[in-house]
Amino acid sequence: MGKVKALVVDDSKIMRSAVKRALDQLMLADFEYVEAMDGQDALEKFNDEIEIMFVDWNMPNMTGVEFSRAIRDKGDTEHIPIIMVTAEKSMGKVDKALNEGGANEYITKPFTADNMHKTISRYFDDDGNIIGEESEEEEEKSFFSSILKS
Amino acid sequence: MIPKSLQGVHEIPSEITSLVKESVINTFASIIGSEPSYVEQNGQSKSLNGVIGNIAVFNQQHTLSLMIVIPKETALKISEIFIGMEIPFESDDMGDLVGEISNILAGDVAASIETVGFRGQSSLPTATRGSDLTLFLPNKPPTEKLKFTGPSGDFWVNMALSESR
Repeated sequence: MGKVKALVVDDSKIMRSAVKRALDQLMLADFEYVEAMDGQDALEKFNDEIEIMFVDWNMPNMTGVEFSRAIRDKGDTEHIPIIMVTAEKSMGKVDKALNEGGANEYITKPFTADNMHKTISRYFDDDGNIIGEESEEEEEKSFFSSILKS
Repeated sequence: MIPKSLQGVHEIPSEITSLVKESVINTFASIIGSEPSYVEQNGQSKSLNGVIGNIAVFNQQHTLSLMIVIPKETALKISEIFIGMEIPFESDDMGDLVGEISNILAGDVAASIETVGFRGQSSLPTATRGSDLTLFLPNKPPTEKLKFTGPSGDFWVNMALSESR
């Protein structure tokens, strides 16, 4: 099974443990975790090896949406799935996370391993590797290379 | 729906109280797996040995403060169900847990009171633990004390509506 480095961002240690426990139960991959206690801490811990992120919204110093936006603004990060795991439930908040924040998915707390699976399984192949979403530039490149090959 | 000035307002609007009750029942059902019931007899006179989560849903006009009051026995049972093991009452994890429960409740309350025109955001939660605690609500209404009971034991949600400063 592929090894996947996941960044888990939540100011609650208990919720970071709950996310890790749910992911371990799913057996989608062999996860290796990096934990951060707020958006600022997560920005410092973010590196090229991170393949998927689970991000709370309501945190001190830097919110999850601000962190997600900062990651997307770095560029070349569109392939890294950002999963918002949050207590915020209103449609306006979901919309803000997905559009302004650039998150890929939205899970509300408290979650079960089952609804975590439904939300994130499409990001993993059968060997436990991440299938990242292609950036527009990459999509364009692969489109042209497929034309050239044919 | 809520007047801008709360001067002369003695009760939290009943629509908000009902929505908060519903949110408490839904939130605790999703956390502990069974619905708590609202207990008509409100208030809590005896001193408390337990933990209190504080959080607010606010906008520029108003602040709805929520105080989740959980006796020690109830907190221990909730931790066993939510975390899968009983966490020591005196540990930092207990404060973390009650803070997170407050956060989840406030998220639900914020989404549901939007339907009656209170569009707000949640503050960060805080938690206080202690023994022989006597709880006060502000002298000025509007305030409300709601009692709930369930398989994990009793708990209270006290709320106060104020003008944002």
